[in-house]
Amino acid sequence: MKTNKMKKLSYKQQKVVWSIIFLTPWVLGFIFLFAVPFFESLRYSFYELTPKSGEIIKDFIGFENYYYAFNEHVIRNTSFKVELINTTMDAMINLPVLLIFSLFIAVMLNMEFKGRSFVRAIFFIPVILNSAAVASALGGGDSIAAMLEEQGIDKIFDLEFYLLQTGMADFLITFIVDLISRIYSILSLSGVPILLFLASIQSVPKHLYEAAKIEGATAYETFWLITLPNVTPHLITVTVYALVDTFLTSPISEIISSELNHQNWGLSSAMAWVYVSTIIAILALLAVFAKALKIGGSHYE
Amino acid sequence: MNNVVTTKVKSVYQGIYDNLNNPRNKMVRSKKTKEISMVVLRTVLLFGLCFVILFPTIQQISMALRAPEDVNNPAVIWIPLNWSLMNIKIAAVVLDYTHALLNTLKISVISMLLQIVSTSLAGYAFSRLRFKGSNILFIFVILTIIIPPQALSLQQYLYFKDLNLIGSETSIYLMSGLGMGIRSGIFIYIFRQFFRGLPIELEESAQIDGAGVFRTFWNIMLPNARGALITVGLFAFVWAWNDAYYVKIFEVSTADFPLLTMRLINAAEGMYAALFYTGGLDLIGQDVWENPLFLALISNVAALLMMLPLLIMYLFVQKQFVESIERTGIVG
Repeated sequence: MKTNKMKKLSYKQQKVVWSIIFLTPWVLGFIFLFAVPFFESLRYSFYELTPKSGEIIKDFIGFENYYYAFNEHVIRNTSFKVELINTTMDAMINLPVLLIFSLFIAVMLNMEFKGRSFVRAIFFIPVILNSAAVASALGGGDSIAAMLEEQGIDKIFDLEFYLLQTGMADFLITFIVDLISRIYSILSLSGVPILLFLASIQSVPKHLYEAAKIEGATAYETFWLITLPNVTPHLITVTVYALVDTFLTSPISEIISSELNHQNWGLSSAMAWVYVSTIIAILALLAVFAKALKIGGSHYE
Repeated sequence: MNNVVTTKVKSVYQGIYDNLNNPRNKMVRSKKTKEISMVVLRTVLLFGLCFVILFPTIQQISMALRAPEDVNNPAVIWIPLNWSLMNIKIAAVVLDYTHALLNTLKISVISMLLQIVSTSLAGYAFSRLRFKGSNILFIFVILTIIIPPQALSLQQYLYFKDLNLIGSETSIYLMSGLGMGIRSGIFIYIFRQFFRGLPIELEESAQIDGAGVFRTFWNIMLPNARGALITVGLFAFVWAWNDAYYVKIFEVSTADFPLLTMRLINAAEGMYAALFYTGGLDLIGQDVWENPLFLALISNVAALLMMLPLLIMYLFVQKQFVESIERTGIVG
């Protein structure tokens, strides 16, 4: 029956039918697991929710949750407000560094040299090992860290201590330690951006490079005049990914999750909404910035 | 005599001088120096960065293999003095390793497959089966990438509570199957970009040969999308393996169904209690387990045990993975 009916439909109509079938799971998921929860959480953020046997008691409290999140919230030795400001500042500083670094690495990994595939494989390892559970285990957990601090031992391998023993100048030591700790965090965030840049560099038509080579362009000129303009349209994809990733792995999302787990549901919804608005505000800012600088349009039109 | 020497020196000097000033040689030399300095710079930089990436893992392996008594023996830095598998044994006991490993493997594989199915279907529909409004729907996909899961978890939790799915792995499968799993939005985006990059002639010739829409997708498009399938599959698997968020919210990891991530986090937060309850303490003497460094060591080794299967798997698929990126055209 059904196949008979399908035959009568034109190919275009068939396409629409199949499109609906293909999209059904996603649309269902979107409505029930995304759209409804999203707006519900907006509603909840104005309520005080207390779980009681089998049901949840809701009390409307207006902007109390938002007020609390910004002015009174304290968790361990930090607070939501402090972490929000820190993460936003960090993202603003780290984002350009991350973009330049990953583009640079992608260009290098795109060159021909011995052992290239090996090096590439190593550079994607952080993507695989980037996990909250591993990070917390490597930190040894809070209780162990506290115990170690009591005994005057911070880490098993303390670079700063070793460097101090060599008798180096103080400012040099802080600089080196800072740089090394940041290199690792940037490296662990840059896996996917490198991958995206690498793919975009590889999608640049080869004949452009050949023509440049015949005209006698240096590697430097090829980079600025061919690689860079062809990669910029994808800068937006990479930026959005990196920004979202920075926020997802930041202490803010940990705070929100922990409030959620402690059943402070109204508060965590309010925090989540502050977080969402921050990201959207930054993205809007970047979009305006990109439009002003004409980044993102195709270069050869 | 003296004269001969000076003329000789002069001629040699003149030769060098001419050579230095010869424009052609100058060009060749400058190009060569540039090339060599580039190679040196590149090698040093890449080697250094590779070292930074590999250093923690190598250090962990070296620490895992030393005897528990040598934890704070300052003479042991890289190569263990007394080789021993005791640390690994204790960490495996703490994690309930074989049990947790199998469960994690099961949940990762199943949710990976479900995510591939749901996101490839959606990605195909967004790229090739376009209709009025599909662009607007795609904006919603972008939205699912941007909105953090924390904003949604409460209501999802309440849903699954109503369905009696809290504490069961089905909640994770349901999320993955409906395209709302871990970063599904990105996967839809990747598939859409990929299918858009495939030539339209493929579809047209299939249509002329009488293939329906589904057959075109299944027999023509999907086999050509191997690159995207590998990329998405690897990411979906790895993120499901490392996921500690959804698993925690939906309370999937229980005593009967332990998962590596949750065991690891719990162990790291209360290593002493974890050792006590799992019987890990009986394996070593009191003078050792009273040492907080030993507890830190065990939590390190446990982390290594969690990552090791991923690393081994990556060793096998890394070639296809790196190659697939080249052909994926994720951003094309």
